[in-house]
Amino acid sequence: MEITLKFYRFSPGNGSKGDFQEYPVEIDESATVLDALMQVKEDQDSTIAFRGSCRTGFCGDCTMRISRRNRMACSTTVGAAQNEGTITVEPVRLITTTKDMMYDLDTWVYDKYKAVEPWIETDQKSPDKEHVVSNKVVQDLRKVMSCTMCWLCDEGCSTMVVDRKFVGPLALTKAYRSVFDPRDNRTEARLKNLSEKNGMWDCCHCYEASEHCPKGIDPTERIFALRNKAIKANAGIPTVRNHYRSFAKSVKSHGWLDEARLAIETEGLTNIKGQLKQVPLAIKAFRKGKRPLPYFLHEKREGRDRIKRIFEKWEENE
Amino acid sequence: MPYHDVIVIGGGLAGMRAAIAAKAAGVDVGLVSKIHPLRSQSSGSHSGINAAIKSDDSWQSHAEDTIKAGAYLADQDVVEAMCQDALRDVVLLEHMGVPFSRDGDGLIDVMPFGGSSQPRTCYVGDSAGHIVLQVLYENIVRMGIATYDEWTATSLMIADGACCGVTAYDLASGKLEALSARSTVLATGGIGRLFATSTSALFATADGVGMAYRAGVPLMDMEMVQFHPTTLKGKGLVVSEAARGEGAYLVNAAGDRFMSNYSTDGDRAPELEARELCTQAIDTEIQEGRGDDGCVFLDFRHLDNDRIDDRLPETRFLVKTYLGLDITKDLVPVQPAAHRPVGGIQVDAQGATGVAGLYAAGEAACSGAHGAGRLAGNSMLDSIVFGRRAGEAAASNSRAAGKTEAPANLLAEQVEQAQGLSTRDGSSDSIGSLRRQLNQTLQSSMGVRRDGASLEQAVSAIQDLKERYQHIAVPTIGGPYNPSLPAYLELGNMLDAAHIMLTCAAARQESRGAHQRGDKPDRDDADWLQHTVAVSIPEGPQVSTKPVTITQWQPS
Amino acid sequence: MAYAFFPGCVSKGGCPELYPAAKIVADKLNIELVELRDVGCSGAGVLSQEVSDPVNARTLAKVEKMGMTMMTICSTCQGTFTQANHRLQSDPEYRDRINQEYLASEGLRYDGTVDIKHFLWILDEEYGLDNLKDLVVHPLEGLKVAPFYGCYLRRPPELMVPKGFEGRKTVLEKTIETLGGEVVNTSGKGKCCGFPILSSSEDNSLAMCGDHTLEAKDKGANCMVTPCPLCHLELDGKQEDAARHKKQDIDLPILHLPQMVGLALGFSPRDMGLHKHLVSTEEIVNILEGVRA
Ligand SMILES: Cc1cc2nc3c(=O)[nH]c(=O)nc-3n(C[C@H](O)[C@H](O)[C@H](O)COP(=O)(O)OP(=O)(O)OC[C@H]3O[C@@H](n4cnc5c(N)ncnc54)[C@H](O)[C@@H]3O)c2cc1C
Ligand code: SF4
Ligand code: SF4
Ligand code: FES
Repeated sequence: MEITLKFYRFSPGNGSKGDFQEYPVEIDESATVLDALMQVKEDQDSTIAFRGSCRTGFCGDCTMRISRRNRMACSTTVGAAQNEGTITVEPVRLITTTKDMMYDLDTWVYDKYKAVEPWIETDQKSPDKEHVVSNKVVQDLRKVMSCTMCWLCDEGCSTMVVDRKFVGPLALTKAYRSVFDPRDNRTEARLKNLSEKNGMWDCCHCYEASEHCPKGIDPTERIFALRNKAIKANAGIPTVRNHYRSFAKSVKSHGWLDEARLAIETEGLTNIKGQLKQVPLAIKAFRKGKRPLPYFLHEKREGRDRIKRIFEKWEENE
Repeated sequence: MPYHDVIVIGGGLAGMRAAIAAKAAGVDVGLVSKIHPLRSQSSGSHSGINAAIKSDDSWQSHAEDTIKAGAYLADQDVVEAMCQDALRDVVLLEHMGVPFSRDGDGLIDVMPFGGSSQPRTCYVGDSAGHIVLQVLYENIVRMGIATYDEWTATSLMIADGACCGVTAYDLASGKLEALSARSTVLATGGIGRLFATSTSALFATADGVGMAYRAGVPLMDMEMVQFHPTTLKGKGLVVSEAARGEGAYLVNAAGDRFMSNYSTDGDRAPELEARELCTQAIDTEIQEGRGDDGCVFLDFRHLDNDRIDDRLPETRFLVKTYLGLDITKDLVPVQPAAHRPVGGIQVDAQGATGVAGLYAAGEAACSGAHGAGRLAGNSMLDSIVFGRRAGEAAASNSRAAGKTEAPANLLAEQVEQAQGLSTRDGSSDSIGSLRRQLNQTLQSSMGVRRDGASLEQAVSAIQDLKERYQHIAVPTIGGPYNPSLPAYLELGNMLDAAHIMLTCAAARQESRGAHQRGDKPDRDDADWLQHTVAVSIPEGPQVSTKPVTITQWQPS
Repeated sequence: MAYAFFPGCVSKGGCPELYPAAKIVADKLNIELVELRDVGCSGAGVLSQEVSDPVNARTLAKVEKMGMTMMTICSTCQGTFTQANHRLQSDPEYRDRINQEYLASEGLRYDGTVDIKHFLWILDEEYGLDNLKDLVVHPLEGLKVAPFYGCYLRRPPELMVPKGFEGRKTVLEKTIETLGGEVVNTSGKGKCCGFPILSSSEDNSLAMCGDHTLEAKDKGANCMVTPCPLCHLELDGKQEDAARHKKQDIDLPILHLPQMVGLALGFSPRDMGLHKHLVSTEEIVNILEGVRA
């Protein structure tokens, strides 16, 4: 079929923002958008720049915004992408480009990947023996390792929109692999590293990452798992650790969550500056008839003994 | 000028394995790859790696299967080395972090795979290549190996008969640079883009073969190209052999299950025959007019829908995405497509070429370990074993010989040539139009079945294309992220590789393994238990032969 | 119509205006709410599943005995419960273990049969928006409302918006229209409000809050409505801080879903507790009154 490919052109340094250039392409509708781009590059304009390698969705290199949807150029047919004979191809939103469709992957993908030290370090030295690991465990590792690094999860991430320094779900999924690989011997150091600024505690567990992952890897759940492990290992950042602890304590003793206590304990009872930060809101809320602050006023509810027992049982099990 | 003791060209399995081995041997390493290593074609390999790790198996049995699959054209000393090393190399991969699938005892499991006499393929779920590639890259990062991502090597720098590095085009800056090295390892992968349909990634353009050829390095068994029997019509995307394993039929245009006419084993479904036989049977159906538009069909319609969703979800998804068909309702048109080269840059068992300081490994190389055809599951093994060996050999060469520096004029020549491209008058040809003609030529002459006359014709067609190639103008060379120059050079490499392949195929006057000639239908051990070896002379590739090394398995 | 009602912590704690509003509205709609009293907090995705699953299984076991669907008025409670329920339903072994270890001593067991629905879904899927429309006495004419779902009412989609329930993706918009309001769509309506990272990463949290409210304002909204009180804590409670963070005035009133329904059904802003919000709701009160006058 005859289509018009509107391809986003952008050159650094010439001061302009970039614009669409139109290329007429005669191509079968079952061909992919990547095929169409290759055709333009070979026949019309050898200077257009984009990435792509495997042609079938496993190398993760051809992520683009095609006719206003983020997807893989090699897994999108011309027929499916065209809208009244036109296909637009432009960069996805949260990542910067260095030219045309060339993303600055070093900054936004590979450096973050490297920051989580995505390998494993083992004690096994005998060159004839593999580690003994159950298939169930390696199966889970394989699932996360099937990540193609297409960064669609980062692209959908709520936190990334407001803070691009956030290490992001892609890298955290890699981190999950290292932390949960029983062959690795650096779990604690890793959890500490992940708790640094811009680390895993900046994730707002919104499940956007899971929704956007084409491989069903469920990055959000992976991040949850990492955090739970960190709490248990006592490795989280103090305010968060306190927040989790206090949450648990409140539910344990009252059956219900006590937000006021949470606010106070999250900042740490001795953290005066942190406490003061809460005061204006608390006063305003109080004036508005919202729940008064001191946590000892929290009503105890029915059933709390039972719930306490569940907590005790769980703690025993730990 | 950047210098490394060892420079590795190629970020696939072979290249990364070589880089890791060299670094572990204590020398300074640079890894050059025209696409980011993690995006290499190796990640497309699904099934696994052969190694006789189980106690009821032996490396000898593995070697025997390998030699048979190679139709006795393999050098048996090299095969022995590969099958012995396999045991430790697989365990080493596990130590590096590969989460191999486990058996009930928590040890590496093996599965049966085409052509092996027993289960011997170590697998990683269904994504061996992808995951091994990830793990190797993790180790590249961990070891602090210098990487040159999106740098395309354009020529070997040879001075005083020794290789002293490469010139390479840095896509980000748009500049040609010289990278000096005492030892250089070529691991540039395959040749798939030479064919109109192939199972390869976009950048399998025979760069290593082209660079080596132009530098006078010999190439071996270049006529040997393996085909995959079932790839999606016109796309070359592999429909997993699991499809037939699950009971899909192969039918021709008339709806006949034709495999029963070719099958030699009455006990099992005829579709379960070995890959080579299926490929040839499908090709025969198509050639003899019983196909449909160059294809036969895979028929899944008699299979239970739930089972399809359970066992073949990827296949169902693939067919839906690329052909818009539903395998539970529609016939799926498939055809054989070029899968992987068996020949390549001639190397010994250490990966050394005839040129001092130059090594090669992986799909780019030919050590003689596979003869006339690769056993399924031996390709990844080849990349891993010979990648490591080449890295080690390169490191010890660098250590022994010390630093070197490439003469400055080598880069200057390249730069001048490149600039010349932009001042050409140009012609009506484009890179795309020449590539398509190259594809057509190979598709019709270097397919599953070949014959002397069309090979000769194709050779002259390629010569014509090579001539026209010299006139294509490349208006803008250089500048940030301008892919024009590598695209032009890739076409040149493909034309050279095609020229060599066709010449070798015309030379080999017999049918053996992946090389089937209609006009020479029989295997000829008396005259052709020989490798073909091609080198560049001014008139084009010159082919000679080299005897096969036999240790304990006599041809039968 | 009767439901086992799980009010959640926040509707009585941080957002005390929500609980009475929900009760009043349900009453008006003739929906009987049988409140679950001796049950525990859902865990809000903060507590480890290892302890929140037993606590939630206990709640569900009680609901199962009552033979009712459970209703929530909080996206986060809804999400946490749906996820826990999914684990308990799809893995009988896991459910048995929890039954034995945690519930048996109390004479309880959960068999995995309970359905859990947010008030918003109930309005559309069970009560029927047409029926709701019939009860509207004060259409929200002139009110430009930006919907804001809260993450857990939409994700993970395979659980929250399963096949056959695709309407859940736009049910808030449809509800606004049913009540006579005008929908103002924003890019962030399905995104995170920022509340979960308030303690770990306050700047990012405020930036989210600011982005969402400012976008709605820029597009002409005069209020925002949310079915999630945690989103309310952020979007209302933290709006002033967000404004400071963004160095821009915002002043966008945030309504709880039952409040919006209640206003259209004729209850006064005071009945609905609008005066308890931190961001002044005066503007919408004026608009509605202008229409009514
Ligand atoms: C679909 C498919 C399925 C397969 N299944 C199996 C299987 O089940 N089992 C098995 O054993 N094998 C299988 N194989 C084969 C196996 O994957 C390959 O033989 C092996 O991965 C080759 O590795 P390599 O490192 O040589 O090449 P590649 O992975 O192709 O790497 C080549 C590298 O060289 C770089 N490069 C190329 N040219 C240049 C240049 N000019 N300058 C710089 N860098 C350059 C590229 O960027 C790339 O990084 C399969 C192959 C395919 C395509
Ligand atoms: S769940 Fe966390 S990492 Fe994933 S998109 Fe949301 S904020 Fe980002
Ligand atoms: S986790 Fe999923 S979405 Fe994220 S990079 Fe990997 S494959 Fe892509
Ligand atoms: S080209 Fe590899 S994912 Fe698209």
